Amino acid sequence: MTEHQTPLSKHHFLLRRLHSLSGIVPIGAFLITHLITNSSIVWGKLGGAQHGGDGGMATFQHEVNFIHSMPFLLLIEVFGLWLPIAFHSVLGVYYATTGRGNVGSYRFQANWRYSLQRLTGYFGLIFIFYHVATLRWGWDFLPFTNVFIAEEAASTTALALRGGLEGGLIGGVVVGGVYLIGITALVYHFANGLWTAAITWGLTTSAAAQKRWGYVCAGLGAALMLAGWSAYVGFVTLDIDEARAVEAALHGPAEGARSANSDLSADAGRLERE
Amino acid sequence: MTTTQDQSSTNSGAASSEAAEKRTVRFRIQRCLGPNKPAHWEAFDVPILAGEGANVISCLQYIARRPITADGKETDPVVWDSGCLEEVCGACTMIVNGQVRQSCSCLIDNEAPNDGDVISLQPMSKFPVVRDLWVDRQRMFHNLKRAHAWTPIDGLHDRGAGPQETAKNQETRYIFSTCMTCGCCLEACPQFLLVDEPAKWDESFVGANTIGQVRLFNLHPTAKEEAGERLEVLMGPGGVSDCGNAQNCVKVCPKEIPLTEGIAAMGRATTVKAVKQFFTGE
Repeated sequence: MTEHQTPLSKHHFLLRRLHSLSGIVPIGAFLITHLITNSSIVWGKLGGAQHGGDGGMATFQHEVNFIHSMPFLLLIEVFGLWLPIAFHSVLGVYYATTGRGNVGSYRFQANWRYSLQRLTGYFGLIFIFYHVATLRWGWDFLPFTNVFIAEEAASTTALALRGGLEGGLIGGVVVGGVYLIGITALVYHFANGLWTAAITWGLTTSAAAQKRWGYVCAGLGAALMLAGWSAYVGFVTLDIDEARAVEAALHGPAEGARSANSDLSADAGRLERE
Repeated sequence: MTTTQDQSSTNSGAASSEAAEKRTVRFRIQRCLGPNKPAHWEAFDVPILAGEGANVISCLQYIARRPITADGKETDPVVWDSGCLEEVCGACTMIVNGQVRQSCSCLIDNEAPNDGDVISLQPMSKFPVVRDLWVDRQRMFHNLKRAHAWTPIDGLHDRGAGPQETAKNQETRYIFSTCMTCGCCLEACPQFLLVDEPAKWDESFVGANTIGQVRLFNLHPTAKEEAGERLEVLMGPGGVSDCGNAQNCVKVCPKEIPLTEGIAAMGRATTVKAVKQFFTGE
């Protein structure tokens, strides 16, 4: 058809479908497991006896230990998460610029979701970068940060979500706001993306099927929202000293001394890893 | 007030009092003197008799006979496009009070029931303006050609009778055959944008109506011979995967064509074709 084909136009269909697929697997699948893992800080209290009898903190530590015991973790992260997210983001931003939302003129529900899908994509991308940079890559030069230490998963996560040791109320509100909006945006983006993907791939070919699948996606989205928000509440209301004691007990007496020195524990943990 | 109501049957709906029978409706019209010229607004007052069945076109005809703006200035008659005046040709599609629709089926008694009500008229924004409310919808017909939206029956020899159409197929196809290429679905679509240069049309989004026509012809017992070619177009740049699922198309379609079902069906057909291509190379 056209004489000057760019790689983008030559593989147009394939790239569009890979963009759709990458949002579900691996990114969406990871989002589900990630939020369930995080919410173990709350639901872990129900079955906490399994992992030492200390409720959510021990369960969460157990989950984090499992992830960090996986072989080739960095390779899994790079090829299973970071590159797919980069691919989905770059193409997503490009695709989003090919449209122009018009909810001002056509206030239909699906049209709102169209515009929200793009808005949550933009914010979600910024949030994921901030989240991974601070809690995974250890960028501590940003304000209100606290470095995550896998061995002290619950206490360091709780501190991070409160804006760090010196964040105070402002840090807590800023970081909390970013996290709550970020989680909400990404869960919406995933649930609505799952709904549109079924049309894109041709699974829901009737209006009735699209409606039914919409209820399924909304249900999944609501459950993930609940998991994400409850995890946030769980970490913000966590007793950090108690969490440190539980983590110390899980790692034996030798490490108990370190986490007793609370102010230095973050730096010490980071140095130990390096 | 206890006067007896003895209104005749010509009165209907909102117009039930003497005062409402004769009213003035103001038309705010977005005008443009020619392609790529700047747009400006002009207002016209049009007297309306309730129950007479005035529509936007009859009001535009009034304005054409008497092109004087609401503040008394003489101006050029407003230009518009129209054909059938019964909502089957699509030519008079424009934006009435912010919503795209056929102006012929827009009745003033419904849209502006009270004295002093305002109706705004704008040309569709996704097609180049020829003048005032008249736009050039050439791109829609270009896209129908691009997607082979026809049945190939021409040839040098007699190909005999075509295959029988099943009742089920007919039922699915009929509604898609009522598409009048009016452009409502494209005007309301956030993914279909104005493209001035015809050279770029082949890479720009085809839009819901063309995808619906591919659905129509790919189900046709004879036309489905070219189903692969049509899907090929829908798999290229500007094809079905450029749809953003805002689903405005199906909401504004005056023919109530299930365009989103057509889009999903083409999504499925292209998925199947891609998988087949991957494994068989065909």
